[in-house]
Parts: sequence; structure tokens; C-alpha cells
Amino acid sequence: MIEFINLKKSFSGREVLRGISFKIEKGEIVFILGTSGTGKSVLLKNLVGLLQPDSGEIYIDGDRVDQKTEEEYLPVRKKCGMVFQHPALFDSLTIFENIAFGLRKHFDLEEAEITRRVEKALHLVHLKDVDKKMPQDISYGMQKRVSLARTLAIQPEVLLFDEPTTGLDPVTTNAINKLIFDLSRELKVTSVVVSHDMHCAMDIADRIIVLDKGQVVAEGTAEQMMQSEHPLVKDFLEEVERGH
Amino acid sequence: MVISLLSPIVTDIGGGYLFFKDVLRSALKKWPRRELVFQQIWMVSTQSASTTALAGFFVGAVMTVQFTMQIKQFGALGYLGGLSTSATIREIGPLLIAFMLSGKVGAFTSAELGTMRVTEQIDAIRCLGADPIQEIILPRFLGIVVSSFFLLAVGLFMSIFGGLFLGVLFAGINPEEYLRHVPAIVKWPSLAIGLFKCFTFAVLLGGICTYKGYTTTGGAVGVGKSVVNTAVSTMVAIVVADWITSVIAESAGIIYMSW
Repeated sequence: MIEFINLKKSFSGREVLRGISFKIEKGEIVFILGTSGTGKSVLLKNLVGLLQPDSGEIYIDGDRVDQKTEEEYLPVRKKCGMVFQHPALFDSLTIFENIAFGLRKHFDLEEAEITRRVEKALHLVHLKDVDKKMPQDISYGMQKRVSLARTLAIQPEVLLFDEPTTGLDPVTTNAINKLIFDLSRELKVTSVVVSHDMHCAMDIADRIIVLDKGQVVAEGTAEQMMQSEHPLVKDFLEEVERGH
Repeated sequence: MVISLLSPIVTDIGGGYLFFKDVLRSALKKWPRRELVFQQIWMVSTQSASTTALAGFFVGAVMTVQFTMQIKQFGALGYLGGLSTSATIREIGPLLIAFMLSGKVGAFTSAELGTMRVTEQIDAIRCLGADPIQEIILPRFLGIVVSSFFLLAVGLFMSIFGGLFLGVLFAGINPEEYLRHVPAIVKWPSLAIGLFKCFTFAVLLGGICTYKGYTTTGGAVGVGKSVVNTAVSTMVAIVVADWITSVIAESAGIIYMSW
């Protein structure tokens, strides 16, 4: 279980997170929605220690993580794999080496086991015959999948997605969203997805959390969102209707 | 007014100092993988060898022309090779290499690291259980420092050759005469000063370009700003360091001994 308690974070005097509190249960698919600049990505980065909150508490399975040092964060990052907004693949490494990177750092594995895990991760994201290619030799959509495979390879208990479909065409967007749903159910992991895509959230999320100006303004299932009177939630729902 | 002008400079120096401390601490804790360092040495050396050689040739030529005009009136053309080579080794060589590296490798490294920062590759490295200082900063820093010595050798060789070539062509001196007084004038202190300056400039350049790249913010515009900042900061730092190292060398009596 993940819990945020009264989390606050500012950048150069600008308050981005203004007292965020909510819980995520094990095995849930939770979508965090909000307009740009509301602190959605900042929230995820605080969870894995890429940023330090100004105040507040973060717990993962009862363990307080917000005050850990860089070294103490290693087990947290092994437990919570993050898929970034950009594919963030290392240009100088092949696809195989990109996926193997986390395995070599987090674990002490035999080369045969690394190869097996890389192949399995590529299979999970429906990619084959790309392991010897360089990141720049495959499409952006494929790079996103490789990025997901790299995170899956370390077998995290929690998958964190930071706007996984940004910059993708509708077909690839649907494919990635389906992948998130299938993988979350198949691997029984908790998934936290930061997104603008209410349509997808309504389809696959167990729960939706809406942020506005650094605060939680709505929280609930897709059905509960439909009943919400909050103007931002209504705007998002209108977008969904227009999409249909 | 003065405070607002000085504030970013002081912030930069402070940030750079803390960054450099982190790099040193990381190096002392664990040495980066050898293949990563060799890869960087090879890349930096091959990237800059041809331009350094070309610039070295012409710097040597310019030095010879300048010295010829000065010493011809004293009938001391026999000392042309020695004086020109000594000045190149002690001063112009290291400075030239540093400027070359700043323009090519410094800007490249800063842009590369800045792009890695804004495309979240550095965050990804941390999330995958590695230390970005170990993985990408230390190899680049060491690559620049080590290859600067190789480039110094290339630049100096070419500048001596350029000086010799112009000495023959411009001053009408024969090659043997040009080289005769080189061993007498260019003694080990000249070489020591050259190496000391080369090392200082390389450390400054490596530190500044990796720091500027690593701390890039703000997307593509931020990368552009980092590259410009790297070029300006390294040039200023190198010139200031040149003055400081010259003072240090003089204080140590090395300059006196070498003349």
C-alpha cells in the first residue's frame, strides 16, 4: 500500500503540491489526472526519491520513504519501477543492454538469467527481434514499449507511469493503455498512471484521482466520477464525450 | 545592481564546488568502469585531434613570425626555434588545447548531458539503481583530463613543426639551426609548467561542462543555454586560471629557472 500524507512541494517559491493526501491499495490501477503543471509528475518523483518533499510523509507498505538517503532509496526503486514521460533510453546502448541495465545494477545475476529476463520483458510488451538494435533505430512507440520492458525486467511490485501515451498516435495510445491494463492484471502489480487521458482512465482505472492546483479535488471510481460536480472533472468528462 | 550581477556567478561557483565535491567523493568511493573511461578518452581524443593539430601548426607558425620580427634586429635568429618552442610549450600550447577542447568537447559534453537530463535519462539511471555520477559524469570528466595530455602532445608537436616550417620559409633559417638551441632553452621546468597548466585547464573544463550539462533545466532551450554558459564559463575560467598558474609557477621559481 502507498500512502501520501499532507505532501507539500514548492519550486522557487511556487507551491506545486499543496498538502496532498491519499492512499493506493495493493493491486489497484489508479489514474492521477489533472491539467499541466498541477504536480502529477512531481508526486511520482517524490515517491521514488527523485525529488524531496518540503513537508509531509510518504509510506510504502508501512515504511516511511520520504526521509531516506540516496542509498536507502535503492530497495524502494527496485520495488517501484518508473516508466518516464520520455522513453529515456540510453542512446549508446542496444535495446538488450538498455533492458539489462537495471538488472545488472539491482541484482547479481548470471548472464543467462539476464538474457532470459530481457527476452521475457520484451515478450510482455509484444516486441521481438529488436534486442540488437539501437534506440534510434526503432519508432517512438516502440521506444516507449522498450522503456516499459526495462522497468518490467526488474520485476517491480508497483509500476509508476508518467504520462505513458504523450506524443503517441491514437492507435499506439490504445495499445499502450491496453498493455498497462493487461500487465497490471497479469503480473498482479499496483499501477499508478499519471495522465491527461480521462477516456482511458474511465476504461481501465480502478480508481481515479483528480488534482487541481496541487490539491486532490476529486477521487473515486469511474462511476463516482460521472456523478462529480467539480468543474475540472466535468471538463474532463466533456472531453471524453467529444472523443466518442 | 552589483548584487544582482554577482548573485548568479556566486551561485554557479558554489553549485560547481558542491558538484565537484560529489564527483571526487564518488571517485574515491568507487572507480568508474574502465571501458567507460577508455571509451570517453578515445572519443575526446579522436574528436579533437585533427583540429588541435591544425591549430597547433598555425600557432607555431604565428609564434615564429612574431619572434622573427623581434629578434632579427639583434641578430639572434639562431635562438628563434628555442624561444618559439619554449613559449609554445609553457603558454600557448596548453591554452590552445584548452580552448580547442572547450569549443568542441566542452560544448558537446554539456549538450549531451543536458539532453540526457531533459529527456529524463539521468532520472532513469537513478531509478534503475545506478549512480549517474559514476555512470556518466566521472567517465566524461576523466576522459577530458586524460585526453588533454594526448592532445597537448599532438598540438605541441604540430606547433613545433609549424614554427620550423615558417622559420625556414619566413626567416630563411635552416632546420638544423632552428632546432639547435631548442634543448638549451626548453628545459624540464618549461615542460612542467605546460603540463601543470594543461592539467589545471582540463580539470576546470571537465568540471564546468559536466556541471552545466548535469544541472540543465527547461527542455531544448535549457540545453542551448547550458552550451552557451559552458563556452563562456570555460573560456573565462581558463584565462583566469592561466594567470593564477603563471603566478604560482613564478612564485615557485620555475619560470626563473627555465629562462
